[in-house]
Amino acid sequence: MIFAKVIGTVVSSQKDESLNGKKLLLCKEVNYKGEPLNSYHIAVDAVQAGEGSFVLLSFGSSARMTEATKNAPIDAVIIAIIDDIQITQKIK
Amino acid sequence: MKLGVVIGVVWATKKVKEINGCRMYIVQPISSKGEKKEIPLVVADPQNIAASGDKVIYVTSSDATEAFDSGFAPVNASIVELVDEIS
Repeated sequence: MIFAKVIGTVVSSQKDESLNGKKLLLCKEVNYKGEPLNSYHIAVDAVQAGEGSFVLLSFGSSARMTEATKNAPIDAVIIAIIDDIQITQKIK
Repeated sequence: MKLGVVIGVVWATKKVKEINGCRMYIVQPISSKGEKKEIPLVVADPQNIAASGDKVIYVTSSDATEAFDSGFAPVNASIVELVDEIS
């Protein structure tokens, strides 16, 4: 799983039938401090996240393991909206 | 299976229902000597066995979904064991 910020929506009218009714969001990867990294992902929205949300993304075959994405040809899904991240330990 | 230390907690109220009640931690991968390697990652704790500061073993990729009782959860990494001692 990675952290990401939702920065836009993707609209598509011609798509695979099993993707009908699924919202696609453009997400920019960030680190746990919220600083942007260089990669972008298009993910299916399973938790009604909005633009600007700080979210948790899941990848690969695991992305198909939600009610909203079961048996659909997708490889990234938003699984949670993050409220807060606490770092409690420092490792050398 | 890999070795790591729990260094932080991720709080999220709105989650997909498959991972409800499951805590999410930030884990720093470490070597057998306890030195850090690679960058930290987000790991689910389906059996609720870990706490902050614990040394844990986690699994990644599709094996991570098997750590859930349902075997059906959208996670890429799961904590499966607590480490007492490495000798």
